[in-house]
Amino acid sequence: MSSHDVRDMLDLPGDAPRPAKKQKIAAPRPVLKGLAREVQNLSGDNPIAIVPEVTVFKKRRFATRKPAAKWELKPFKNSARNGDSLILRHWRRKTEAPPAPVAEDGNGEPAAAQPPPEIDDSTFAKYNVRVQTPKYNDEQYNTKLRSDDWSREETDYLMDLVEEYDLRWPVIWDRYEYELPIPQMDVDAAEGAIVPAQKVRSMEDMKARYYFIAATMMKLNKPPELMNAAEFSLLELMHQFNPAQEVARKRFAEAAFHRTKEEAREEESLLLELKRILARSERLTEERRELYARLEAPPSQGAIGVYSSSQGLQQLLQQLMTADKTKKRRSLMASDGISPAGPSGQHQQGNFERRDSINRESISGPSASNNKKGPSQGISERRQLTADEEKMYGVKHLDRITSSGPAFRHEKITKPITSKSSIQQQKIANVLTELRISQRLRMPTEEVGKQFEILLQNINVLLDQRKLADKLAGEINIAKAVKAEKEKKERAERGEPEPGDEDGEGGAGACLGDGEIKMEDGGREKSAAPSIRASSVHKRSASVMSGVSDKSTKRQKK
Amino acid sequence: MAAQTFNSSMQPTDVYGGDEVSAIVLDPGYSSIRAGFAGEDAPKSFVNSHYGLNSQARLVFGDDAIHNPSAGLEIRNPMSKEGIVEDWDTATSLWEYAITSRLTSFKQADPRTNGMNDDNKDLEMQMEVVEGEEKALEEHPLLMTETAWNTTKNREKSIEIAMESWGCPAFWLARNSVMAAFGAGRATALVVDVGASTASVIGIHDGLILKKSVQKSNLGGNWLSSQLRSLFASQDPPLELIPHYMIASKTPVDAGAPPQAVYRKYEKDPSDSFRALEEERVLTEFKESVVQVWSGPGRLNSMNATGSNNLDYARSQPGRVFEFPDGANQMWGVERFTVAEGMWDEKAALPVPNEAPGTKMTIPEMVRASISAVDMDLRAHLLQNIVVTGGTTLVNGFTDRLNNELMAMYPGARIKIQAAGLTAERRFGSWIGGSILGSLGTFHQMWISKAEYQEFGASVVEKRCK
Repeated sequence: MSSHDVRDMLDLPGDAPRPAKKQKIAAPRPVLKGLAREVQNLSGDNPIAIVPEVTVFKKRRFATRKPAAKWELKPFKNSARNGDSLILRHWRRKTEAPPAPVAEDGNGEPAAAQPPPEIDDSTFAKYNVRVQTPKYNDEQYNTKLRSDDWSREETDYLMDLVEEYDLRWPVIWDRYEYELPIPQMDVDAAEGAIVPAQKVRSMEDMKARYYFIAATMMKLNKPPELMNAAEFSLLELMHQFNPAQEVARKRFAEAAFHRTKEEAREEESLLLELKRILARSERLTEERRELYARLEAPPSQGAIGVYSSSQGLQQLLQQLMTADKTKKRRSLMASDGISPAGPSGQHQQGNFERRDSINRESISGPSASNNKKGPSQGISERRQLTADEEKMYGVKHLDRITSSGPAFRHEKITKPITSKSSIQQQKIANVLTELRISQRLRMPTEEVGKQFEILLQNINVLLDQRKLADKLAGEINIAKAVKAEKEKKERAERGEPEPGDEDGEGGAGACLGDGEIKMEDGGREKSAAPSIRASSVHKRSASVMSGVSDKSTKRQKK
Repeated sequence: MAAQTFNSSMQPTDVYGGDEVSAIVLDPGYSSIRAGFAGEDAPKSFVNSHYGLNSQARLVFGDDAIHNPSAGLEIRNPMSKEGIVEDWDTATSLWEYAITSRLTSFKQADPRTNGMNDDNKDLEMQMEVVEGEEKALEEHPLLMTETAWNTTKNREKSIEIAMESWGCPAFWLARNSVMAAFGAGRATALVVDVGASTASVIGIHDGLILKKSVQKSNLGGNWLSSQLRSLFASQDPPLELIPHYMIASKTPVDAGAPPQAVYRKYEKDPSDSFRALEEERVLTEFKESVVQVWSGPGRLNSMNATGSNNLDYARSQPGRVFEFPDGANQMWGVERFTVAEGMWDEKAALPVPNEAPGTKMTIPEMVRASISAVDMDLRAHLLQNIVVTGGTTLVNGFTDRLNNELMAMYPGARIKIQAAGLTAERRFGSWIGGSILGSLGTFHQMWISKAEYQEFGASVVEKRCK
């Protein structure tokens, strides 16, 4: 009932014209077969969900309408059957060659009745491989292979068995039933005669005999010098067969086989223990390897100098942020979306701390307290460092951020070196190697850094002084040379002969001065090196360093 | 064309090395004869080894004929208690029946291909061939199984039958234990085969039986039946076993109550051998549904870890009800464990008339004897490949008990028992192995061909089938 009908009943003026007809539902319903219309109407606007019936159960196989493959019962022979003419038949795809009438007749023995021109060989004939056993003739046996223990007949019997059973020793041993030839006697005599006791051959006896024969025949057929490596090793192996050792081994194995339950359990527990130990050691080596891999991580490619300053770092962070945003993953940024790389240094510091605190206990406790964004629970969790610990970790409290902003400590340490020219750097490096101090500090703590800085300053002073000294020495030499030249000239003008002593004196003086400088040089180096070395042993104390530098300057002044 | 489905036009030789030449595999046993084509997974023909000799002195074969309670039907079995053939003439016709009733026939091939519709020249030739074809197996190589203790004479007889009576183009005689190992996918194994008449334990190395390791005893299904008979006789009152054919109608009775059944009257009672056969069927049913092997650990009469007797524990287990054909039914409690215990513990065997107690080797003892008769290096390997086959091993708890016994016997060794889960695979284990062997492409070089038989005579079988 629509509103129009109500209006009509109540005689209200109906301004809306009655819709001509109920509009049909827009989409015609899908026609579902096999369902009464009434049932279908019950569902109203929502059609009944019925899985459409699939009338085709399976796709027809031969959609391509290719004719069925033809098969035929084809006879075949097997060349592995030592010349025997057994012909069996199997089903094969028919080749489209002219049909062989015989193969199709379905009964009788076609091959026998009318052999087809060619009969296939079985594809499996090639798998028929047999063990090659040594063959010997009478002469060879008599000259080389005789044995007190084995008669010729028994040896032959053994060789036959070996060939028959393809060197399967357990079977050969199992089936070994050699009967001694009964001497030709009449029955009555045989009754009373001492029949030689049947020898029970152990597997080792048989193996030893066979290997002896095989090795001997191998050597006869091919001298060992001509053998290739495989053959020779086989020969060696056969020579080395030791029946007694084999017997002992088997006895041992048998004893192990008949262990009691307790022994077995004990062994099992020991094995378990061993396994555990092995697993543990494996894990240890694995961890160690991983550690090594980390320690020997390849130096990062590309210059990191760009990121050494605080601005650079900020830039890097910015880059990472944008990369992070584009990835649409859970962002590095805080959920409130404020970039942590704000203008305030505190801000930034706080962010770093938060990241740190994920992995380890933050060491910069106090500075975290003035971090606005840091979660409050994070603060409470953080440990307050004692003075000792602060010293240990090198925590510094700055009243205000330095103009250069935060920087890495190693940065600070290497800066005095890297800021120099390359020649200068080389010289500093030379001095450091002379002092046996590596350029890169092994343990760059605050203290060491400071001392290193002082050392570098001293080295700078030293280098300056050395430069100066060299310059002065050069000048002195030149002056002396000029003076000598002048004196020479004067003497030549005066026509005086060269006075040996004077000349000698001058030369000696020149030499002496030279030597003195050199000596001084050497002495300085000599004296500087041990003292600094000593100082490096004694924590490189600043006073010693300054003492050394004082000394060298003093010497220079002199 | 769907490429992923196996296409019939492809030759699967490269997949499993098979090359089928429509060989027939014949696996005769004491209780049944299994026959079928090599390459199939179960024998098509399964025929009872018992045959009937009716009053007209005619032989009747097959389950359809021998369970008919007609007067004068004598039931016989051509096999001896050891599972080897005694009555060769009947065995031959029985096997022939097994083969021809389901597998091959003298029926002509399809008329489109048999050449009958070809022109006259071909027809004449065809007729000649048909005339010559009177033998059952002209086209089929025959793979037959035998027990490991078969005699040389018997083996030669089997090839004679195959070649002369049946005209097989090729023949092979395989040990059924080896075949069972092949059926389980192993070439080296210790086969524990418990059939109807015998139980045997045989070591096999690379598809060859180790003769010294052959152990057998009569602790098979028939012995279990005799244990059941002893059990029924010892009940109070003694329980009389009445087979189905004697019952006309029965009314349900309470457990333990005397049966109320109307018995059939025969003018002349069927023979005793017939009754024995029919009783055996009831016992088989009983074995299948009630009998259980105490699965260990320990023997049924020994103490368990908690200090109580295993027997007491078994007594506390819920029993099973069995209703006999006459309607008598009762709950079988610990008895269902005790009847099978004699296979594992000879002291626990129930006394059987005309049999000295404690003279047989139990199954664990046979395993021990068999294992100690093989080379030391092979023992561990054999114990890891124990193949359990034969219908009687399907008694509940058999493999569990075997495992427990062997674990106790060889605590240091690794025991692994391979027992087929499917009933058919366990019953037809040796046939399945024969089916696999007969369908292998590499086996074709092994067949003894007719030409070889004609050249060397029947003794060729002793030389070739080792």
